[in-house]
Amino acid sequence: MSNNNPKDLSSNDKRLTSNVKAAGCAAKMSSAELKQVLAGLPKIKSANLLAGIDNFEDAAVYKLNDDLAMVKSMDFFPPVLDDPYLFGQIAATNALSDIYAMGGKPTLALAMLVFPTCDLPLSTAAEILRGGADQVEKAGAIIAGGHSIQGAEVLYGLSVTGFVHPEKLLTNSGARAGDQIVMTKSLGTGVGLLALKAGLLDDDTKGMLVSSLTTLNDRAIDALAHLGTNTSHYIHACTDITGFGLIGHIQEMSKASKVSATINIKHLRFLPGVLEFARQGLVPAAAYGNRKSFETNVSYIKDFPLEFTDLLYDPQTAGGLIFAVADEHAEACLKALNGSGVAATIIGQFLEGIPGHIDITMN
Amino acid sequence: MKKQLDLRGLTCPEPVLKTKKVVDQADVKEVEALVDSEVSVQNLARLARSQNLHFQSTRENGHHKVLISKDQTGTVETKHQTSTAATRDGAGGTIIFISKDSFGQGNSASLEKDHDFSLNLLNVFLQTVHQSGHEVRAVLLANSGVKLMDPQSPHQKVLSDLAQGGVEVLACGLCLDYYGLKEKVKTEQITNMFAICEYLFAADKVLSP
Repeated sequence: MSNNNPKDLSSNDKRLTSNVKAAGCAAKMSSAELKQVLAGLPKIKSANLLAGIDNFEDAAVYKLNDDLAMVKSMDFFPPVLDDPYLFGQIAATNALSDIYAMGGKPTLALAMLVFPTCDLPLSTAAEILRGGADQVEKAGAIIAGGHSIQGAEVLYGLSVTGFVHPEKLLTNSGARAGDQIVMTKSLGTGVGLLALKAGLLDDDTKGMLVSSLTTLNDRAIDALAHLGTNTSHYIHACTDITGFGLIGHIQEMSKASKVSATINIKHLRFLPGVLEFARQGLVPAAAYGNRKSFETNVSYIKDFPLEFTDLLYDPQTAGGLIFAVADEHAEACLKALNGSGVAATIIGQFLEGIPGHIDITMN
Repeated sequence: MKKQLDLRGLTCPEPVLKTKKVVDQADVKEVEALVDSEVSVQNLARLARSQNLHFQSTRENGHHKVLISKDQTGTVETKHQTSTAATRDGAGGTIIFISKDSFGQGNSASLEKDHDFSLNLLNVFLQTVHQSGHEVRAVLLANSGVKLMDPQSPHQKVLSDLAQGGVEVLACGLCLDYYGLKEKVKTEQITNMFAICEYLFAADKVLSP
């Protein structure tokens, strides 16, 4: 047991996560709930709106002129761990990721904080904001203000504005049959954070989890941008892996792009220890919710151990990116990513087939 | 020794941690835990499986009773298995596999009148199966066959009659999604192609009207 674990300390201090039922992206509404809530909204059509609500995109994109489009997103959630500075960093990493997932660069951010000033010291709020601000600075963007209110539960996040050349915009809907699926980062932050909350992580494992949670997705986008001028010709689609888990986000992309997908479980990367924690029953509620929402469109070609399939549905906080890359360019992209220190693997392929259908194989 | 735990009101990961602590004690042979969420049941099932212990869960007035015991090892029983797990227990039996919303095909499939007749014939077939007392393990619905699951469909009744008689009624999730019915059908009745294949290959007999 790690002695960083605050669970066994008989301190009267209120912990940041003590009121939190579902943490990070695990706190997201389920896909079905979201669909129901959004169903009644008017459909917005505008020639300049390059990405909106339709395909469950990561961010909205508005074309300003032929050379420039504005990318806007907002993301916030309850604390995923007890260290306020780290929580701020992680929430910011997660919010900034939406801009990268559209191929953009973040420029300007506003902070959003809900904070129970009676229950927690103000220094905690300051630490959360400092963590977020430091991360935004790392991303080369600026925080220029925000909004805070009192509330029973801590919530923190950012509204981020970024920019992208309209031709370099990466959406959910561009994947084509034959494209390889390239994934960055490792899976398992949902299970990992639960194990952290349970006090089961040693310092090394905790370090790797936190490092994954605070790694910006900027380097992946930069690495691919440096490949050539017309990367958009062979990087057809991109999204980030967050609350709906790997399967949920691949399913969204495959539905939006009208292709099916196959994922090779052998090529997936997992955070250290998470398979064993999942095997012992440390599976977040949202993973079951994701399984319920998405599993009916999934075929397992083999009978996989439960812990593997649990991780496919594990809600990710500040997860990696998924790219749909033209087959003949996949190796070059992989090389560029790994060459700039971004751990990436080809985890499967998009195929002609029923949109939203995913085969899980192991070759 | 049997230990009882009341874990109601606790949120993940507390129920698993508390149960594990007790299960790990050498003198404890059996743990009975009360939990109030399906998530806790599933997590405890995983805990039992990882230690190769017997697991059983039952639902009673608003909560779940979970029994983990060391005497009988290795089997996991739960009333709410995932679709793939459901195919592992006693295979075989007679499967009715319906892959379109009609019984055979009328003179002209495009004529609405003919199609209505074929659809009604399917309803008559299922009613006859239900009343005949023939043993059926499962009714599997795919493609336009899933339209029978529409709560507004007049054919829904015979399916719920069959289900009440112990027949598993399962519909292809991909198909429900395609026909816009997924939100209207109970999740435990939604299955996937893998499970459908398992049922069909394990069956003693498959009837496809």
